[in-house]
Amino acid sequence: MVRKAPGSQSSLRAANKALVLQTVQRWGGLTQIELAAATGLSPASVSTIVRDLFAAGVVETATTTRNGRRAQLVTVSRRMGLAVGIQFGRRHVHVVLADFALHPIAEHTLPLPFEHRVDTGLDRATVLMADLLERVGASFDDVAGVGVAVPAPVEAGTGSISVAGVMPGWDGVDIAQTLSKRTGRPVYVDNDANVGALAESALGAGRQVRDVVYVRASYGVSAGVVVSGNVHRGYAGVAGEIGHVMVDPQGRMCRCGNRGCLDTVAGGAALAESVRPVLGSLTLTDVVRRAGDGEPACARVVADAGAQVGAVVAVVAMVVNPQVVVVGGELAETGEVFLGPLRERIGHRVVGNSVAPLEIVPAELGSRAEVMGAMLLALQATEVSVPVSPETAVEVV
Amino acid sequence: MGTSPESVDVLLSLQGITKCFGAVEALVDVDLQVRSHEVVAVVGDNAAGKSTLAKIVAGVLSPDAGVVELGGHPVVLPNPAAARAQGVEMVFQDLALCDNLDVTSNLFLGRELRGPFGRDDARMEEIAVQVLDSLASRIPSARTPLRELSAGQRQAVAIARTLIGQPRVVVLDEPTAALSIPQTAEVLIHVQRLRDLGLGVVFISHSMTDVLAVADRVEVLRHGRNHGSFDTATTSQEELIGAMTGARVAPRRLQVV
Ligand SMILES: Nc1ncnc2c1ncn2[C@@H]1O[C@H](COP(=O)(O)OP(=O)(O)OP(=O)(O)O)[C@@H](O)[C@H]1O
Ligand SMILES: [Mg+2]
Ligand SMILES: [Zn+2]
Repeated sequence: MVRKAPGSQSSLRAANKALVLQTVQRWGGLTQIELAAATGLSPASVSTIVRDLFAAGVVETATTTRNGRRAQLVTVSRRMGLAVGIQFGRRHVHVVLADFALHPIAEHTLPLPFEHRVDTGLDRATVLMADLLERVGASFDDVAGVGVAVPAPVEAGTGSISVAGVMPGWDGVDIAQTLSKRTGRPVYVDNDANVGALAESALGAGRQVRDVVYVRASYGVSAGVVVSGNVHRGYAGVAGEIGHVMVDPQGRMCRCGNRGCLDTVAGGAALAESVRPVLGSLTLTDVVRRAGDGEPACARVVADAGAQVGAVVAVVAMVVNPQVVVVGGELAETGEVFLGPLRERIGHRVVGNSVAPLEIVPAELGSRAEVMGAMLLALQATEVSVPVSPETAVEVV
Repeated sequence: MGTSPESVDVLLSLQGITKCFGAVEALVDVDLQVRSHEVVAVVGDNAAGKSTLAKIVAGVLSPDAGVVELGGHPVVLPNPAAARAQGVEMVFQDLALCDNLDVTSNLFLGRELRGPFGRDDARMEEIAVQVLDSLASRIPSARTPLRELSAGQRQAVAIARTLIGQPRVVVLDEPTAALSIPQTAEVLIHVQRLRDLGLGVVFISHSMTDVLAVADRVEVLRHGRNHGSFDTATTSQEELIGAMTGARVAPRRLQVV
């Protein structure tokens, strides 16, 4: 919002300044050339605006390389605040403290029990966050926003899980409000595949394109759909929950109450169960590691999961028509063991177009995609007010 | 059970272990098995016999009856050195570290490496750095004096110390007992690393959350006796607490063969 008489030269500059700042915030960090492309402003005016914002202490610049060439990276000033990303997995919580450029400053990972409880989880996350802040000499007041990723669909309005039973013990709890009360900071909650999609499309393998499907294969299988650069969450935040697409009508009961969901054949528990007769009791992490090392039974179940996930992703791809399918989550760590069959199955089931073939690529941010996306979510929602200088009164809301 | 997957790689097997201190039956006919790549938690109330069991495995105490097998062969462990020689290392409840020595010296306490000119400090520091690395530890330097480290870091040093002897089995007696949550996070990650290195880990703890977070299996001791064996993937805290306190008879004693 620009509070000045419209039409004047200075109000235009102020509006452009706001646009540049919003764009930097949205992406975490951009080079000046990328900023020009993203805002539609000329490189010269971007350069002037960045210089002004820098002088006002709102942004910082650093030398970096893009495509092998030196470039000026623009980030929101660390003085503007810190961001916290929290990822709740089925077996752990990962807490990362970063500056506005999403450079991790400090982090903690705490293993958690299967079916960990919401009170334990939120309490542990708060304590870990406090410890990280203390480590860098900061306090909760320095945190602009907290983003939280959970392995379940989330209804944006209430900040709580929108499909009962998917995360036992977490139902009906307003995660955002509970954590906000503990920390005194604004908290934003979303599904892990959605924030993974956000991160991969803004900073990772989907950077260059506007329509992306991000597939996250781990304990559960889910997808995040990015359409025209925006995450499509759906009415109740359930969009992309492909783990609960029925693939076997005679299959096992799923925790969602339905039967034969993709999760029951390609989720972590199903894979561990499949190898148990020959390898004994293994965790998903064990299965993934051994599959990557070429152990035949583990590689077989991971490959078969790839094909099964691919069959469902093919349908999503027909609906969304993405340029790229980005594949992340623990199973993607096996590389082509999982990706190969997934790619092949999608290839067989998606009609080719004459413009460009659908690309299926591994995620670039790896196990960090979700925390990065959670932080991006928080930063995009955060109000950053620019200090008022005499000639440019700008407030970004 | 021959070559069934459950029996391969059994590193440590205790059968019918009994240990009395005068009239106190610390352990009665206790069984325990630990495989490669497995974290087995031992839980139980105070005085249930957890530390006694650990000390028998580590050669600190000798059982009155029963058999200890390592790698499938019966062994006698009259002292800790004998246990170490068989690939068993233990971290005691009180850590037993030296405050005035640095990290490297603590890791090699009592088993310093010697070169042609006396203590081989360079080689010891090199190994210390490697071992801390393999645990993904956050200890700033192998030369830091112990007194400058936090309780969590000291526990990490104690765990790292077990790796100097290239063990097969590591026994940890209440490694998270006195720690904050951030410190606990680091120790639990270290426990996972030991498992990833292919070791068998015996993890004694009072915290059901910690146990269910990192163990593959939980063995409950009650008044010195086995009182249930639980797969952590399918066990709730309530079930474990029920078994520990005897409020309920353990629902299933998984026969681990
Ligand atoms: N050296 C000893 N001499 C006499 N009694 C002992 C000795 N060591 C242990 N005991 C007794 O054996 C029983 C089991 O003790 P142990 O230390 O193994 O229990 P624990 O399960 O480790 O308990 P805690 O949770 O308090 O550590 C207790 O009654 C204890 O008093
Ligand atoms: Mg004890
Ligand atoms: Zn389902």
